[in-house]
Amino acid sequence: MLNFTIRRILGMIPTLLLISVVCFTVIQMQPGSFVDQYLDDPRVTKETVANITRQLGLDQPLWVQYLTWMKGIVTQGDFGFSFASGRPVSSLIWERLGWTVFLALLTLLVSWAIAVPLGIYTALNRYSKRSAALNFFGYVSLATPDFLVALLLIALVLKWGGSNVGGLFSPQFIDAPWSAAKVLDLMNHLWIPMIAIGLEGVAGLMRQMRASMLDVTGQDYVRTARAKGLAERQVMWKHAVRNAVNPLISLAGLSLPSLISGTIIASIVLNLPTIGPFLYDSLLNKDQYVAMTLLLFSALLLLIGNLLSDLALAWADPRVRFE
Amino acid sequence: MRTQWVLAFGLSVLGSIAPAQQVAGANLKNAGIVPGKSGGTYTLPLGDSPQTFNYFGAIDNNNYTILNNVLESLVQYNLATYKLEPGLAESWTTSKDGKVWTFNLRKGVKWHDGKTFDADDVVFTYNNIILNPGVRANQIPNLTFGGEPIKVEKVDQYTVRMTLKQAAGAFLQPLRIFIFPQHVFAAINPLKNPDKFMQMWGTDEASSVVGTGPFKLSSYVSGQKVTLTRNPNYWKVDTKGTKLPYLDRLEYLVIRDPQAQVAQFLAGNIDEININGAQFPDLKQKEISGAPFKIQRSKALFGSPPHLAFNFDAKDPQLAKVFRDLRFRQAIQSALNRPRIISDIYNTVAVLPGHGVSPISEFYVNTRNQLGRYDLKAAAAKLDAMGLKDTDRDGIRNIAPGKNLEFDLLYGTDSTIYPAVTTILQNDLKSIGVKANPKGILVSNLLSTGMSGNFEAMILAFGDQPDPQLRREIWQPGQALHYWHLSTRKADGTLNTVTMFPWEKRIHDIFEQGATTIDPIKRRALYGEWQMLFAKNLPVIMIAKADNLAAVSNKVGNFIYNLGPIPTYNTNTFIYMK
Repeated sequence: MLNFTIRRILGMIPTLLLISVVCFTVIQMQPGSFVDQYLDDPRVTKETVANITRQLGLDQPLWVQYLTWMKGIVTQGDFGFSFASGRPVSSLIWERLGWTVFLALLTLLVSWAIAVPLGIYTALNRYSKRSAALNFFGYVSLATPDFLVALLLIALVLKWGGSNVGGLFSPQFIDAPWSAAKVLDLMNHLWIPMIAIGLEGVAGLMRQMRASMLDVTGQDYVRTARAKGLAERQVMWKHAVRNAVNPLISLAGLSLPSLISGTIIASIVLNLPTIGPFLYDSLLNKDQYVAMTLLLFSALLLLIGNLLSDLALAWADPRVRFE
Repeated sequence: MRTQWVLAFGLSVLGSIAPAQQVAGANLKNAGIVPGKSGGTYTLPLGDSPQTFNYFGAIDNNNYTILNNVLESLVQYNLATYKLEPGLAESWTTSKDGKVWTFNLRKGVKWHDGKTFDADDVVFTYNNIILNPGVRANQIPNLTFGGEPIKVEKVDQYTVRMTLKQAAGAFLQPLRIFIFPQHVFAAINPLKNPDKFMQMWGTDEASSVVGTGPFKLSSYVSGQKVTLTRNPNYWKVDTKGTKLPYLDRLEYLVIRDPQAQVAQFLAGNIDEININGAQFPDLKQKEISGAPFKIQRSKALFGSPPHLAFNFDAKDPQLAKVFRDLRFRQAIQSALNRPRIISDIYNTVAVLPGHGVSPISEFYVNTRNQLGRYDLKAAAAKLDAMGLKDTDRDGIRNIAPGKNLEFDLLYGTDSTIYPAVTTILQNDLKSIGVKANPKGILVSNLLSTGMSGNFEAMILAFGDQPDPQLRREIWQPGQALHYWHLSTRKADGTLNTVTMFPWEKRIHDIFEQGATTIDPIKRRALYGEWQMLFAKNLPVIMIAKADNLAAVSNKVGNFIYNLGPIPTYNTNTFIYMK
């Protein structure tokens, strides 16, 4: 198992190198560059534009720019600096990472906690009216974009006279030290993004779980388990669900990169301090080191997510472990 | 030497007040400024996260909006008249030839960290930062006269002398740029290390920012909120002797989406938002039905009125010939339904436009008669007179046999105004046999497309400024942003008079003269002549000028208007919470 993990981690290095080249190429293929915004600004002289270009290192050949960037990463863990703010990329990402991870994990957790039981329920009671209603709800929430749900929720809260319309805190709590009141205020704001962003995930996962569950309940070993005289409860949870949940574990690994790019629009509409809008801005401004680092980071998360889900799968499924 | 500015309100300083203090607000009664009460928190929205807190480190409106409360300059705007008043400079004199300006600095002003402000700060800021070509947001273009940047020297601890190579009419305007503390930045030597200078006062160093302004930067929660607190040692007091600013705290919530800003305002988390004509009806209705806020409308000095431009250098020579013909542009102006645009698109929150200056500017001359009336018949008659007739009976006039009078009309899609104006214009033009093919692109790409010369017609907007001199790059033929007639400028940047119409030549000369004329009456006459030439010859066709609109909570007192990033127009000094 340890051997397997180490091999997988070592395998990531060439993949990441390749991805960094791809990221760099993609960013360079974008038309224009960061300094273009200054070209038609009467406040900026040609000389200043040339100065900015030189200060940012944009006058260097592309391969030099790439190698300098890679050298910084490998030797000093330095991911370059933001053209817009002049600050190191890593510190800019770091200060946004906390809330991003918190929100992403929480929505993931919430959507799992709701979706898996609902998936099982709708699979077991395939023809009941309640299942039909839940399926319908699933389709609707799958088809509704998250930002639209967010806008509707905000409109509702306003109509009821609430003040928790967007953001994670009321203004007075944003820079206040942690306290019970602050946590309560957070809870009061958190349910909107949970519903808006989580709902989309719920519907997809629920359909996945249902399909997987239906597959499994028709299998021979389930029939055998029943024939052995096991209690229905045990048949379901020990034999059916445990097998049915495997595809979902792989799926969870794949959803890790959505930490960064998953909810850009909803984050803007709901005014959440996450990385999504930051990536969006950096792409628009051609702030190349920020954009490249975020793309690289998101690729790394995908690789890590895959590894984690493989490990989790091995833990959950003895068949994978013994191979 | 003659005194240009004698302190109008400096006389009211009373013996009981320390010498550094300055009574302010007495001349703002007309604008509705009254003595308020101290205390309270005032919360405003900010359109995006600031990139840095170093004013010269980035060209970024969010950064400018915040620092407008923290830093100060030699001169500042009068909030009612937009005339320039003493700021950190208490008074100034100018030599007869207008080339030497001497500024007497205010004594007893303290930086937020307690150090004394004096001439060293001013000289350092100008010579090491503002006029430093290595600094990203340097101001060299604005402070270059007669081809040379100004010279700034210290005379004594509270006197600074500035020397210009050539007299400049609008010289005080660029002096609205903020002064930095020498004691903070001298050690890193910005002339040698501009990179290091621009990294200072980044967004992670909010509390180390030091200014002389009414508010201190206190903290920044990334992507969420900027908090400023009162500067207890600020040098202004109100007419009753109460220390300014009134507010204990000034907060900016980072909210990117305009609709989310409105929602936060309606929820009571924000005390004021600037709104546009499209948002007006809904909020006005809420105000009338008793919501706890007022919609405040005021005439705009700044703000960007859209115009319609035809490319005099269009790639198609026949089309270019038509566009250069004044009768064609007059015909299009007659087909431009301004009343409908103002009532339907701006929801009545706009007025007929000026030409290059706002109708409330001191430079404005009345050009309304030149705007004409909306009259499709007259427009059609003008085109008939040009010989542009529909020869092939397909409903569209012909430039040449088999060639229709048809052009691409570029407009910005991500705007509440441009797409609707385009539709109205397209329909009216169709009814007089002119075919406009709308082409939408992002607003942020309009100007660069114009500057490439690769367009036929375009709807675009440039911001109005208090002094026409500040918009010279746009309106003076041969200048960098004169995008509808790029051939007035040769490839090396020099003037190309061959392609100019006589009236363009005259406009060019007016701006040259205006730049070096100091007498305000002569300047006004010159820029008045320019506006008339503009209105009669229609280099571009002005469409409408939106008014300022703000929604203000009833808790807020002394609200005039919030111009955000415009340096030294700072109304937050007088705001109080009822």
